[in-house]
Amino acid sequence: MASIVNITEKLGSQAAAKAFTLTSAVWFAFATSFGMIAAGYLIAPDFMANIEFIQFGRSRPIHVNLVLFGFVTPGLLAAALYYAPRLLRTHLYSQRLGVVTAILWNLTLVIGVISLGMGYSQGREYAELPWAVDLMIAGLFGLVIFNLFMTVHRRQEPILYVSIWYACAAVVLTAVGYCLGNVIWKPDSGALLGIPDAILLWFYGHNIFGLLLTPLALGVAYYVLPLATRSPLYSHTLSLIGFWSLIVVYTHVGTHHLLQVPVPTWLKAISIVDSVGMVIPVMVFLINIWFTVKGKLGDIHADIGAKFVFTGTIMYFFANIQGSFMALPQVQRVTHFNNWVVGHAHLGVFAFAGITALGGLYFILPKITKKPLYSRYLADLQYWLILIGVSVMIIDLTIVGLLQGNAWLNGETVYRVLPEIHLYYVIRASAGLFILSGAYLGLYNIVRTLFFNPGAATE
Amino acid sequence: MYYPYFISYMLAGLVIALLVFAWAMKNDQFRDQQRARFLPLFDAPQRKSARASRVSRIEVYTLFGLACVGLCSSFAVVIFALLRVE
Repeated sequence: MASIVNITEKLGSQAAAKAFTLTSAVWFAFATSFGMIAAGYLIAPDFMANIEFIQFGRSRPIHVNLVLFGFVTPGLLAAALYYAPRLLRTHLYSQRLGVVTAILWNLTLVIGVISLGMGYSQGREYAELPWAVDLMIAGLFGLVIFNLFMTVHRRQEPILYVSIWYACAAVVLTAVGYCLGNVIWKPDSGALLGIPDAILLWFYGHNIFGLLLTPLALGVAYYVLPLATRSPLYSHTLSLIGFWSLIVVYTHVGTHHLLQVPVPTWLKAISIVDSVGMVIPVMVFLINIWFTVKGKLGDIHADIGAKFVFTGTIMYFFANIQGSFMALPQVQRVTHFNNWVVGHAHLGVFAFAGITALGGLYFILPKITKKPLYSRYLADLQYWLILIGVSVMIIDLTIVGLLQGNAWLNGETVYRVLPEIHLYYVIRASAGLFILSGAYLGLYNIVRTLFFNPGAATE
Repeated sequence: MYYPYFISYMLAGLVIALLVFAWAMKNDQFRDQQRARFLPLFDAPQRKSARASRVSRIEVYTLFGLACVGLCSSFAVVIFALLRVE
């Protein structure tokens, strides 16, 4: 207990946001490292042969879970823990609880990585983590909910700004959805049986992104962009319409992953209609935020955090257009069960939510440390490395997906297609190197800003 | 038979969402929307707007170019997929 008090005091004011910022930066580097290892296996299956801990079947889920729970979620939460008290005109309920949450969060991730590396996986996509780790993650979201809701309860500002709605909804929906999707009441398998399990898994699989990363990222964008451009939000009413329509529509889209599977037709129909209906909340958000920053591009470029976040909004546009089209059965005949979906996942999780998380971190860093960023140049370099890397990777994976989808439709065998796509896997790994370099540059920049920053104090 | 559980869960979600919505209505969360637009700017220091530099404009054009390429590719795939429908 005394050591937690010491750590909180050492981190100073905004200790919780600082702890989550560091968590995000560190695990971003680890997550991309495991991603590179997995990309290496796709080029040369004997790559690092006989090292069981990092074989493809283990490094891939480690990469995915670390990006999800290690990099993007803590990054967005860091921003939320900073902006929530300011928007509510109060203090965070407990900085100490925030720091404890961050420490336990890191401990959970370490246990998760070791478990998956040792082969303790429940074998369901995005729900691979074993039961004990599932319980820890559910508990961590409980701690964040408590801290956030007590802050809301003690607010001086009567109106909840849209970012608060998004942050609260994200943590509550994820805590519930995580327990359900991981079938937490069945510790041995973490799964139901047969088709119902597939339905439940994809309900969870899509919502762990759609109801965690998306609302948290939109909350950050709604806070950062008006502030960076010194412009009031174009319409708060419109933003609330976007929030409620997202809550209504997004919860039902998961079954669009199972259109070729014998699930009930009514469920497929709901998933397709709601997937296309996602255009409404997305366009509401984009129209609102782009009108807010209209004519203020100079301000966006002047602030590296806003620059990342604005880029994230553009990527959100593509992720949505692509996602809505992909839910159409005719389109899915070509695009599903191949690398097209992997490209879409990188577009949504990394190019939209990940880049927005980085924007949130860079925006709050000078404010929580009360010093300028250690190096704006490094942050700009990271921006371009990541933007080039992820763009090339998405285009590359899209092409691979089209090759695979058409080969499948033509009845070609897998072994005849693999040599055709080998070159694209090499390009994908090269693009990954850009992102990897960006992750380590960002880690250096953030650690220097937090702990070894010679810059003069601001404010 | 899991579907009754799924449907129960969906109904529970709907009821909770409606309750939260009712709370928001009762607590005037949808009133005074004009003031709500300015909430992020509360206690933000005023400063002069920055002008976009040449480099900034090139960056914007690059992003716009990427956006167009992405959009064209997406539409091309949709048209291609629809043409293949037998």
